[in-house]
Amino acid sequence: MNSESTLVQKALAGTTRGDVLSALGPGRSALTLPELQRLAQHLETLTEPTAPLRIGILHTYTSDLLDPYLHFEALLQGLAPAIYHGPYGAIVQESQPASGLVAHKPQLTVMLLRWEDLDPGFGGAFTALSADDAARLAERARGRLMHQVGAVRGAIDGHLLITLLPPDRGPGLGDYDTMAPVSEHAWREGLKASIAADLLGAYPSSTLLDLDHGVTSLGRERFFDRRWWYTSRFPFSPAGAQDLARRVVAVGAVLKRPRAKVIALDADNTLWGGVIGEDGMEGIALGPDYPGNCYVAFQRRLLEYQQRGFILALCSKNNEADVLEVLRRHPHQVLREEHFAALRVNWQPKPDNLRSLAEELNLGLDSIVFVDDSAHECGIVRQTLPMVDVVQTPARAVDVPVCLDRLSRLEVVALTEEDRRKTEMYVQDRKRRDLAASGIDLPGYLRSLQMEISVSLDDRRQIARIAQLSQKTNQFTLTTRRYTEDEVARLIQAEDWLVAHFSLRDIFGDSGIVGIALVRQTAPDLAELDTFLMSCRVIGRMAETAFLETILETLRRRGVTTLLADYLPTPKNGLVAAFLPEHHFSLRPDGRYVRALDGADHARDIPILVRLADETPALSA
Amino acid sequence: MSVFEQLRGTLAASLGVTPDTIRTTTRQADLPKWDSLAHINLMVALESTFDLMLEVEDFAKLTSVAAILSYLQSRGIE
Repeated sequence: MNSESTLVQKALAGTTRGDVLSALGPGRSALTLPELQRLAQHLETLTEPTAPLRIGILHTYTSDLLDPYLHFEALLQGLAPAIYHGPYGAIVQESQPASGLVAHKPQLTVMLLRWEDLDPGFGGAFTALSADDAARLAERARGRLMHQVGAVRGAIDGHLLITLLPPDRGPGLGDYDTMAPVSEHAWREGLKASIAADLLGAYPSSTLLDLDHGVTSLGRERFFDRRWWYTSRFPFSPAGAQDLARRVVAVGAVLKRPRAKVIALDADNTLWGGVIGEDGMEGIALGPDYPGNCYVAFQRRLLEYQQRGFILALCSKNNEADVLEVLRRHPHQVLREEHFAALRVNWQPKPDNLRSLAEELNLGLDSIVFVDDSAHECGIVRQTLPMVDVVQTPARAVDVPVCLDRLSRLEVVALTEEDRRKTEMYVQDRKRRDLAASGIDLPGYLRSLQMEISVSLDDRRQIARIAQLSQKTNQFTLTTRRYTEDEVARLIQAEDWLVAHFSLRDIFGDSGIVGIALVRQTAPDLAELDTFLMSCRVIGRMAETAFLETILETLRRRGVTTLLADYLPTPKNGLVAAFLPEHHFSLRPDGRYVRALDGADHARDIPILVRLADETPALSA
Repeated sequence: MSVFEQLRGTLAASLGVTPDTIRTTTRQADLPKWDSLAHINLMVALESTFDLMLEVEDFAKLTSVAAILSYLQSRGIE
């Protein structure tokens, strides 16, 4: 039995977000799901204000299971998330004006895609490809991805994150991949680079979020959990899910809160080990041996921040002469006087120093990140200047170099002022343009899939699958009626019932049987649509229309002139609320729907080839 | 805390329900929030709460409080 770790207990005692963040430290990925949920609950009780963050998720693998992790990470960053998940597998479809994604008005949209979705070539062995084949595969994949990105980017405002699920195993050639004539690793990195270049060139506020970094930090075995993948198409372990959630929310945090510009640093036990006023130049730990090398590493990290455009300031309670001696004369000091834009080395309260620093630099207090080893100093700043981000330097020397790594406000997301302006222009431009002329070509995209459906009627061989679909389908179903195998067998047998099913093939492969319809003929010319349902996997590709029209045509040839249907709403099937009206059914005063089967071909423009199996006459068992 | 009380806490936090809705007789069908996706996060939560690893074949069996308690007992947790 796992007792709650002391880390979590400390965090649960925190009365501010800053306290909780501080208590958790950099070791956040070690949290279990129940701990994370408990912490989220605690964060919800805090009275600090939060900023709303609307997130939209489009996905080709299960994404709902990310919610507890997104929720927790958002709360930790002072954000109140409202998350929309598009229908499974629907990407381009969600770029339509009436889609759920557009209605949600997300500030941050995330595309959770897999390499395998970009081209059927990903299903095969990479090692079998020649350099030319590999190059062609890259081109096709990039083209399809950019088509999807273009469609989505044109439909929503805000920031767009594109992700490609890292492969769950290493390259086929293992260690020898590096030396192979066509290295899989190099090929993937090259493709990511060309995608990034496309995004930079064409789409503002659109970022390729490279999840491979998560795999590198955690290791493949820790990032993925194959049990969830094979049973429910959710790839991540709790650690992996948390890593992804943290990265996504970090972008949200940067969008919602002003980016940090200044890192205000304490000196003793932050830039070096020990206290300069007491230990002197010889006594402080700063050099090639432990623990001094930890502080040198930290200073090098800080120098990188400075070179990236962050401002460094010194805020230390010391005699100025002592500190300056280190900056000017210590042989292992990396950060010299010239690296600091301002110095406050005195015995004044730190909050006063920070205020005067902000004034001198002509920046808001909310652009400052304050780093100090003293819990007391950190506490005072948090209390008096809540808009300042406070990081307590870890007591453990080895943790010092990485203590700022997870601070999302320091992460470089290309959201400079220029980008914000470009986004504004882009948004206004889009509003002016006619959506139809902007190049979103859903029928063209669907045609490129080369879809075929095979429709079968009263097929005894599929009783098990038909029954299973009726029992498991909750979303795309008009009436949510459940049937056992015996019942299905009896209905197939019955002369007045038609039990139809269809399977779908496209360039990516065969989806298997994905939809069923049960029709009861109540009179020679009248029938009722008892059941019409489809698996989530094939939503949004017009397969349902092709299937429906095929059944209606079959009924018409049997002499049926009128079809009745019902929509029985449940909490889960809102997806099909408009299905019947969209398919030319009219609503009767008694609440039932009706359609006349007059032979009008409503399926003419659907880019799906339909194969109808020969109708088998009802045979007795 | 008894195993049932721990399990109740885990179920409540995982499914987002109050602990008093969970009894020794509770089954998946009794709680609308305990759907197939919530079941996965519940399996994850059980693993960390009771420090054990579940096999895929076990998931489908753990669909009631009684089944979970019985399973935990078989794994030496009581």
